[in-house]
Amino acid sequence: MIDAGVARAGDAEGPAVVYPASVEEAAEVIRAANRTGTRLIPAGLGSWLGAGGWTGPADVIVSCERLNAVQHYEPADLTMTAGAGLGMAELDDVLRPNGQWLPVDAPGVGAGTVGGMVACGVSGALQGRYGAVRDNVLGVDVVTGAGRVLRIGGRVVKNVAGYDLVRLFTGSRGSLGIITSVSVRLFPRPEADVTLCYGGGTTEIVALARTMCTSPLPIAAVEVEAGGENGETVMVRLLGSVGEVEEVLSRLVDSVGPKPRAIVRGDESAALHRDRGAWEEGSALVVRLAALPDRLADTFGRGAALAGALGGEIAADAMSGVVRVKASPDAGRDGDVVRELSRAREEMEAAGGTMTLSQARGEVAARVGWTGGRGSDGGLGTRIKELFDPASILAARCP
Amino acid sequence: MVPVTLAKSLVEICGRDGVILDEERLLVYESDALTAYRHRPGAVVLPRSTDQVQGAVRAIAEHGLPIVPRGAGTGLSGGAVALDGAVVIGTARMNRILDIDAPNRRAVLQPGVINAELSVAAGAHGLYYAPDPSSQTACTIGGNVAENSGGPHCLKYGVTSRYVTGLAVVLADGSMVRLGGQGRESPGYDLVGLFVGSEGCFGIATEIEVGLLPVPEGVCTLLGIFDRIDDAGQAVSDIVGAGLLPAALEIIDGPTIRAVEDSVFAAGYPIDAEAALVIEFDGMEAGLEHDAERAAALCALAGAREVRTARDEDERMALWKGRKKAFGAMGRIAPDLLVQDATVPRTTLPSILRGISDIGQRYDLVVANVFHAGDGNLHPNILFDRRDEHELERVERASKEIMQLCVDSGGTITGEHGVGLDKKHHMDLIYGPDELDAMWQVRRVFDPGGVMNPGKVLPEDTGPAEGAGLPEGIGGD
Ligand SMILES: Cc1cc2nc3c(=O)[nH]c(=O)nc-3n(C[C@H](O)[C@H](O)[C@H](O)COP(=O)(O)OP(=O)(O)OC[C@H]3O[C@@H](n4cnc5c(N)ncnc54)[C@H](O)[C@@H]3O)c2cc1C
Ligand SMILES: Cc1cc2nc3c(=O)[nH]c(=O)nc-3n(C[C@H](O)[C@H](O)[C@H](O)COP(=O)(O)OP(=O)(O)OC[C@H]3O[C@@H](n4cnc5c(N)ncnc54)[C@H](O)[C@@H]3O)c2cc1C
Repeated sequence: MIDAGVARAGDAEGPAVVYPASVEEAAEVIRAANRTGTRLIPAGLGSWLGAGGWTGPADVIVSCERLNAVQHYEPADLTMTAGAGLGMAELDDVLRPNGQWLPVDAPGVGAGTVGGMVACGVSGALQGRYGAVRDNVLGVDVVTGAGRVLRIGGRVVKNVAGYDLVRLFTGSRGSLGIITSVSVRLFPRPEADVTLCYGGGTTEIVALARTMCTSPLPIAAVEVEAGGENGETVMVRLLGSVGEVEEVLSRLVDSVGPKPRAIVRGDESAALHRDRGAWEEGSALVVRLAALPDRLADTFGRGAALAGALGGEIAADAMSGVVRVKASPDAGRDGDVVRELSRAREEMEAAGGTMTLSQARGEVAARVGWTGGRGSDGGLGTRIKELFDPASILAARCP
Repeated sequence: MVPVTLAKSLVEICGRDGVILDEERLLVYESDALTAYRHRPGAVVLPRSTDQVQGAVRAIAEHGLPIVPRGAGTGLSGGAVALDGAVVIGTARMNRILDIDAPNRRAVLQPGVINAELSVAAGAHGLYYAPDPSSQTACTIGGNVAENSGGPHCLKYGVTSRYVTGLAVVLADGSMVRLGGQGRESPGYDLVGLFVGSEGCFGIATEIEVGLLPVPEGVCTLLGIFDRIDDAGQAVSDIVGAGLLPAALEIIDGPTIRAVEDSVFAAGYPIDAEAALVIEFDGMEAGLEHDAERAAALCALAGAREVRTARDEDERMALWKGRKKAFGAMGRIAPDLLVQDATVPRTTLPSILRGISDIGQRYDLVVANVFHAGDGNLHPNILFDRRDEHELERVERASKEIMQLCVDSGGTITGEHGVGLDKKHHMDLIYGPDELDAMWQVRRVFDPGGVMNPGKVLPEDTGPAEGAGLPEGIGGD
């Protein structure tokens, strides 16, 4: 159940939560909101409602928890259609017996719903191998902010009929409408799952991560962690057939980099990554720094400086050049935090990168800005928001 | 013909050799590879830079004429056809690879770069560009972006949209916007993803950033020969269902095999077979043999009469030849060819293939299938002679029935060739008025005046233009 309090901190009553059980009910809610000028936030389980931030407080949270049916699953088609409220964990329970999975390892994604995954559109370290979330969403049913029910895309893996509105809703963070149902592409669960863990000083591990990223060997993901209990670590994940994975493993051990500190196999490897999904849990401040992968040393350094100033930890997806920083709730006075964040933003943007806030206290977010420079889309994003949510009843802004 | 004042400004912007006004030379641009639709453009402009594209767009817009972007003209849905005397902006001279950034596995290109040339250039760094439409030696990256093109190897690696990470786009008012870029992370809506597949209706892509992949160490190619096409369809379904992830799974049916074997492209496929299935795995040498053996066993189980394995690059090319030359071979046995492009859920392949064959028989038409089976993306080719009016009508009816059949099975009307002119009247098979209206409105966000490639993709907007208005029942109160 959603903790309504998260949506309007400080307000004892908090917004009401409604639980539509059908697309029609969801549409009814939106139409009513249009009539009454009520501000809504579409939601899954509310596990990360703060993501991206919204312009103002909401009156009502629309939870998709009850829209959680598996609507269509034919294993041999490697596709599935499910209600937006289906939990990612429940989805995995359905897929596992068939030797399949949805390889999305975005931070915290396992705790939420498929609809939330699509709405956030964030990808994790496996995106290099399997594609980003947006590459594996085949279709969505949505109720737009204007109250229209749209069924866009489909459930086949190749589809170019008409403009790709599915891409627009993927990553729209509840700002264009309520996603009520989702069709995704699935993958065979790999036969072998092995993670090599390496230790070392910061300079060494970042250099090693880059070596792994530029190797022609089929490596599924390269992640770096620092500042936590395990010290500085590089994790190199291999996924595939037993023959392939064992071959890559032996070549890495024999001729690339130092000896790994540990080699974790099978379920243990899977569990290692699953557990790391909750890395940000309980953090009041989560920051995402991104630049081209070959700038990893700089981005990592920038993240480390930020983590140092805020007493936080960092984790990086080396293949995408993304560095995440998390800090505890008592990271310092707002003024100091704002200064540190603003400096990180400036430096990242000067180097052609980005700095976005994934999670922050309202005060801090308001002063720093969730996303920074809006690029040069010539106002297209804003016009799209106006198109689907003309009365601005969806509290989330264009992210 | 375009007004003299416009011709003059275009020459000023793009140079005398960058503007084509001559009626005869304009004929070259009257169609794309789907030759059923022919319209001569008012003029063709061939700019060399984004600046020149902007200048040309402004000049054309001032004269109130529509604009049609064009790459190599290999499209199969009439997308690059210039209706109503539109001016074509061709990207043929914007064909420079601006940067191959090997450490970041990406490249920045002008839109007129030929797909295959990118992989050649990237090859020097051990990298390649994954989406490989069968037309890759001719088609442009700009055209690929506009159509969201696929190819045989998209089964494992995904289609164009997965690889496009940034775009510079010239909009209908001549302004230039930059979407995404510098890798995958960019805040805001996924406007890059939205632009990919927009078929020239949102603007002209003048700079394209794409991701590259390392060239796999090994490749193993098999050819399964089947007496029944259903069995080949079943083998595809079984291979995918068994958790194998081949790089490509392509079917060539009996009529196509015979067309190929009768032609100069003869590839040595048995002419009495009803289907050939090309299966390719790539990756580490170590894992390939195991995967190939399992796939071969599944083919045998599904009823393959024979499974050949390529031992070296020459043998591999030979196995692929029948697939790659299929269109060329068919072009020789009939004056006209209509290629359909529906996608169906993979498990329905056997029954759909039977259904298509029935439809062909019912309308007394030769239908030859050669397609991306692993993705469920069909290419039934209807062979005909346009001069025979009765036959043409049967072709149209059969092709609509084929689309309907595929849609009814949970599929869609086009998997990679796009809607263009050819399928816009079939969009209502899959979308209702609300979806079509939403697409109209998104189109207007990019191009309020309807200047860019008008008359494509969406059936005419019949309802009143609602702007951003609310549907009935809302408002007041
Ligand atoms: C511990 C933890 C750490 C996380 N770290 C990050 C991070 O660093 N960066 C990041 O981006 N995400 C992060 N997330 C979010 C995560 O990736 C998932 O997207 C999220 O968990 C989805 O949860 P949910 O389904 O409960 O959605 P909610 O938490 O309810 O909603 C999340 C967002 O999606 C929208 N939304 C949800 N469902 C719908 C729907 N059906 N239709 C329309 N909009 C909808 C909401 O409006 C909101 O903007 C984290 C989550 C957790 C639990
Ligand atoms: C033999 C043969 C085999 C084929 N095989 C495949 C295949 O395997 N997979 C596949 O997907 N397709 C295939 N095709 C279709 C075709 O090659 C693709 O659609 C290709 O992407 C078109 O590229 P083009 O440069 O020829 O574009 P054109 O035909 O010139 O244009 C196609 C569309 O793109 C627009 N456009 C072109 N450039 C730009 C730009 N810079 N900015 C905006 N819009 C632009 C045009 O307006 C038009 O709507 C095949 C075609 C043939 C003839």
